[in-house]
Amino acid sequence: MASVRLENLRKEFGPVVAVKELTLHFPDGKFAAILGPSGCGKTTTMNMIAGLEAPTRGSIYFDDRRMNDVPPGKRDVGFVFQNYAIFTHMTVAENIGFGLKIRGVDEATIRREVGKIAELLELTNMLNINAGRLSVNDMQKVALGRSMIVKPRIFLLDEPFSNLDAAFRAYMRGELKRIQREIGQTMIYVTHDQVEAMSMADHIAVMDFGVLQQFGTPDEIYNQPVNIFVANFIGSPNMNFIPCYFRSEDGRGYLVQRHGDARVLLDDQRRQLLERHPGNQDLIWGARPEHLTLHAQPSHPEYLRAMVRFLEPLGPKTVVHLELGEKDTIKVIAHPSYREPAGTVQWIEINPKYLHVFDAKTGFAVR
Amino acid sequence: MTQRPTWQIVLRYVLVLIVVGLFTFPTYWMVTMAFKPKVEWSTAHGTIYWVPQNPTLENFETVLTEYRGKFFRANQSSALPSIRSSIIVSIGGTLFALLIGTLAAYGLSRFSVDTGDLPWYIALGRLALLILVLLPFMVLWAWLGIIRYWYGILTFTLLGIGADQLIGRLLALYYRGPTGSLAFSILQLRMFPPMAIVIPVMIMWSAFKLIDTWYGLVAVYGVVTFPFVVWLMKSFFDEIPRELDEAAIVDGASNWGAFFKVVLPLAKGGLASTALFVFILNWSDFLIALLLTTRDWPTIPVFLNSLVSSEIGAQHGPKAALGLLAVIPPVVFGILIQRYLVRGLTFGAIKR
Repeated sequence: MASVRLENLRKEFGPVVAVKELTLHFPDGKFAAILGPSGCGKTTTMNMIAGLEAPTRGSIYFDDRRMNDVPPGKRDVGFVFQNYAIFTHMTVAENIGFGLKIRGVDEATIRREVGKIAELLELTNMLNINAGRLSVNDMQKVALGRSMIVKPRIFLLDEPFSNLDAAFRAYMRGELKRIQREIGQTMIYVTHDQVEAMSMADHIAVMDFGVLQQFGTPDEIYNQPVNIFVANFIGSPNMNFIPCYFRSEDGRGYLVQRHGDARVLLDDQRRQLLERHPGNQDLIWGARPEHLTLHAQPSHPEYLRAMVRFLEPLGPKTVVHLELGEKDTIKVIAHPSYREPAGTVQWIEINPKYLHVFDAKTGFAVR
Repeated sequence: MTQRPTWQIVLRYVLVLIVVGLFTFPTYWMVTMAFKPKVEWSTAHGTIYWVPQNPTLENFETVLTEYRGKFFRANQSSALPSIRSSIIVSIGGTLFALLIGTLAAYGLSRFSVDTGDLPWYIALGRLALLILVLLPFMVLWAWLGIIRYWYGILTFTLLGIGADQLIGRLLALYYRGPTGSLAFSILQLRMFPPMAIVIPVMIMWSAFKLIDTWYGLVAVYGVVTFPFVVWLMKSFFDEIPRELDEAAIVDGASNWGAFFKVVLPLAKGGLASTALFVFILNWSDFLIALLLTTRDWPTIPVFLNSLVSSEIGAQHGPKAALGLLAVIPPVVFGILIQRYLVRGLTFGAIKR
């Protein structure tokens, strides 16, 4: 096993900059995820770690060894591709044993190792089937096995589950996490699916437009997003954002809605922070739908008045879309049985603990 | 759905029959003629025999054996050497084209950045520029009197390659987008009518003493069919996802290993159909073989031509017999690789 360290990694494709000065440290034996929308440079980063693409600038270290000039076959990494990259002209056993065969391992050892891997992945009864005839689920298992058999120091997975059906994807998420914990394998997992990243990873690196936005544990990413992009990208339904400005009255701090009169009361710590913030007249406050509560009556003076526009019943919960002021809409997660008709006036309770404040110009969280 | 009127169905089948007839009748005529005795295939009586009345192997005998001194079949030579010649040069040319073409196609498919559709004005412009650049040198070479010798040809060829690459580079400086440096150079080979190419090749080959040798023909066949191999195989390689190569490389294979162990086996359907296509091209070539062979290595099409002369008349029967024999190799080849032809079209390695 090994840790992976990227230093000022940059990749250009002609005029396009895919990855911009990326500095990151994936710790040894941990499960890390690179999360971001498509085209954010996450796959390029992965390809550079594997050696399939050469960085324009910057360095890649495995532990303390600089890997830039080491060819991909010698880096001792396992790579699982989004589309499996199964060799359809071989049997399942030949696929799994490919890496060993290339390394010149003798037949008996290959057979034994393939048997072990097949057992782990429940592929034993398919070993002699032509790999092209497998279902997509089994294909991805074969791809996993083919990478695992060489016991790589670093395991790279590039959206490996995005083509699988939903139930099997959930199952594989659990399995992968179990295997990773069991053998303490360093894994780097690329995904655009926040659920995968949040549920499996020890650390998440959020990327956008080739720039690292935030690197931290799932809790940090969820609870303390550093900017609007991260805040918006994590969570489903996504965070509510309301443009506002800061106002201080009688020693109390408020965030006043820009397109309306909704005011959010701040706690003392936040108030002091925002008083000192130079851009405090151009802010955005954010709150996750799951941290808001709807009330029928304004039983507390700080509740915000809003009007129901439509409902999204999702089964275990109902997403209520409301109108706040003239222009802003706000989503609140309500009880599954919530069925108020459109036009109903509701009162929103905001827990100041879960309130996020961002500078509208820079997009960064005000902390 | 309503039933079509009967006359439409009848008309459809009549049309089908006419088209099928048009395509199969020449074959039918050749096959039957091969088995007709001379009285039946010659037009002396003015009678047409649709079916051989007295089937015979006489024509095969005539074409495969040598006659000398018999009255009208004077100096009739056997077709056997030409069959041998055809087999050697066609297979040789095909293998040569496949060898260099497949590697080139893989390179273009995976490692070249300069691919993509080329606008016609770039294509024609490049060609025109190349000819313009080379013309004065040609005059100079002719004036120096070296154009007919191997060193003149060699230097001129190198000059041509250099000029072509230079034009490509210069174009790339001023024109963003595909200028087709490599892929286009390969295609350039096919932009002339073969006749225009074969005469210079004949002059070159005589300077290199390659006329009437099997390797001379193999080289020309290889080069002439090379562009087909490149462009066909490139499209097959493009179909195979790059991730497969990458997976093999990450697992420890070299670029060559990924090519031979993973990509080529997956493209074997394409390889088989390309091989058949190129083989048929070489096998049926008349023009190149006519100009580049004299005594020892004429191929079957050239030999067929020699069966018509003022001395012996038109030997239709033996011609048909030899034609029938010449059909066998492509047909057998086709049947042998049929499995791959079908598979080549249906493989789907990866979900996209």
